[in-house]
Formats: sequence, C-alpha cells, structure tokens
Amino acid sequence: MNTNALLNYVYLFLTLFSHMNYSSELIKGTLKTIVLKLLADNKKMYGYEITQKVKELTGEKIQITEGALYPTLHSLENDGLVTTETEYIGKRIRKYYSLSATGKTKTQEKVSELADFISTMTFLLGIKTKTA
Amino acid sequence: MYCLTNREIEYIFNEIKSNGIEIEDLQLNLLDHICCLIEQNLRDGDDFESFCKKTLRQFYKNELLEIEEETIQLLIFKNYYVMKKVMIISGTLSVAAFITGSICKILHLQLAAPLLFLAIINFSLVFLPLLLIVKIREINANRDKLIIALGTIVGILYCLSMLSLVMHWTMKGPIWLITLAIAFFIFIPAYFFTGIRKPQTKGNTIIASILMVAVTGIQFTLTDLRGKTSDQTSATLGNEALVEKSQPKIKITIPANWKTIK
Repeated sequence: MNTNALLNYVYLFLTLFSHMNYSSELIKGTLKTIVLKLLADNKKMYGYEITQKVKELTGEKIQITEGALYPTLHSLENDGLVTTETEYIGKRIRKYYSLSATGKTKTQEKVSELADFISTMTFLLGIKTKTA
Repeated sequence: MYCLTNREIEYIFNEIKSNGIEIEDLQLNLLDHICCLIEQNLRDGDDFESFCKKTLRQFYKNELLEIEEETIQLLIFKNYYVMKKVMIISGTLSVAAFITGSICKILHLQLAAPLLFLAIINFSLVFLPLLLIVKIREINANRDKLIIALGTIVGILYCLSMLSLVMHWTMKGPIWLITLAIAFFIFIPAYFFTGIRKPQTKGNTIIASILMVAVTGIQFTLTDLRGKTSDQTSATLGNEALVEKSQPKIKITIPANWKTIK
C-alpha cells in the first residue's frame, strides 16, 4: 500500500465517521501511521514538507496541524522509530526525519493494523464502500 | 517567494521563546516551519511582524505552549507503559519470592530468609512506589491522589517495620509506631472522609474503614509499649520455661537428727 492509498483510506474512514468535519481525535489516532508511511516513501522529510505533502495527496482534505505534528515527531524520535539530521538553511536549522531500521518494521505493522481496523469498523458499522 | 532576513529570523525565534517553548528541538522545528510559511505566503507590502503573529496564532487554540505540553505528554505516556511493565514484573517477582520463601521456611531451608527478605524489599521499595506513580497518573482528583499516596506510604512503612521486626533491627520500635500512627490518625480518617462523601463509594468506604481500624487495632494490641516487642517477650518466656524444664529437680531432705550431727 503506498502513501496515497493509505491517506485515501484514512480520508474515507474519517469522512465516514465525521461527515467531513474531521475530529482531531480521529486524526491524532492515525497521525503516527501517516507520518511513518510518508517517511517510508520519501526517504527524509522535514516538518513543513510533511504537512504540505499530506495536503497535496489528499487535495487539502486532511490538514495536519503543527500542534499535532511536532509532538508526534518527537515521540517517534524518542521511540527510536525515526532518526534525524540537521541542515543549515541560512541562519536557521532544518531538521530532517527519516525512518530507522525499527521504524521500517513498525511502519508495516502500523499500516496493516490501521487497514485491518478500518475494514473491521466498516464491517461493524455496516458501511458500504464505493467501488470504482 | 519572500526572503527572510537574519533579523526577521531572530524575531521569529524570540517570539517562539517568549511564548513559553523551552524544548530546543521544538524551538528549531517551529522556527523552520514558520519561516517556510512566511516565505511561501508573505507578499510584498505585507507587514512582517503582524503576518508573523498571525501565522503563529494558527499553531494553537489557546497558547503556543500547548505544543510543548502535548510533546511532553506523549513522551511521558511512553514512560508510563514502561513503568507499568516494570511494576507488573516486580510484583510477580515479589509474589514468586514470597511463595518460594514460605515453602523453604516450612521445609526449614536456609534459602527462606534471603528470599523473604528480597520479596519484602522488592514489594515495598519497587512495586508499591511504581503502583503509586501509575495510579496517580490514572486519577484526576487531587484528594484521591493524596489518599493513594498516604496508603502507599503506610504500606511501605508496614513492610519495613515487619522486616525490621524479623531482622531485629534497632529501629523496629519507632518505625512500627510511626506506621500505626500514620495509619490510624492520618490515612484512615482521610480515606473515610473522602470516600463517605461520594454516594457510589459510601458503603464500601464504611466497611473498608471498619476493617482497617480493626486490623490496626489488632496490630496495636500486639505492640508492647514498654519497649519489648511481643516476639521478644514470648521468646523470653519460652526460654525461661525451657530452663526450668531442663534443670534437675533437687530434693533436699533434712535429716531428722541434723542438730545432733552439728
């Protein structure tokens, strides 16, 4: 499953639950998985880039707030799932995040877990998904 | 694309710091993020400072510090699970040591003493403090947190006083009396008056309080306030009985004519 598919899946799930008004709680629950998957597909990324990428992939339907993103990135770093490297952009420092070896394994687990959860919820709530 | 000057970058950095962000990593991340947003969205002729403040305002609901609090919360949350695991492991080890130690004691094996000693130390100094930390995180009301803290202190002191009693440490008397005093005069009243106010805990609080007073009372009954502890007294009495039993009974018979002998 690529990031786009995962984000569409998450978007579908959030839409089903929130009627287009995404609850921050729902987004929070999937944020770690989204970030991990993006890093798996994009080698290394910085905070602003992650928010823009999610916006772009979902057509601005999912917008990650800075207040949720940075605590998540710090938590992932603390868990040893991502590694960081810094780069000077003029006078300021840019911090790039990339997946660690543990992070790569964890990403697969998290994506499978989320996909399984979504299909269970879809079945549980009797939601009919549109087929192309 | 707008190009930020060094002075403007410094201004943004100071804004972040003055809003209470203290974690250096977070400061740098936010600085880069805000810089990116300004570079992408600031048009010629826009006022930099007001645009910066407006951008910063999008980052939070009430105050920027929320981001730092959320970060700390997430980091602590991880420690919370580690702590819970350590707590369960230490609790299991204590139970295993208590059971094995007790079996060894019944079989009069020398291993009994170190096992029971380790069990008590592990239970009182590792398991109970961790339980307190974990429970305090789960409870919101400060009053309930205080009750749990007091209960844990009494539990730790009780374990240590039992240990000092068995090990014949000199501090056994004071620890024991402090334990009883805290339990009877602070913990039980605090527990009772907190629990009785809530209708859902009223019944259980009354019963638990009665049980606790009874147990503390029984423990106090066993306490020798004159300085000797009950086990010493019984040991002394036992020794006296043994000595008496082992001594040969000598019957001194006085001859009737002892005066004549003299």
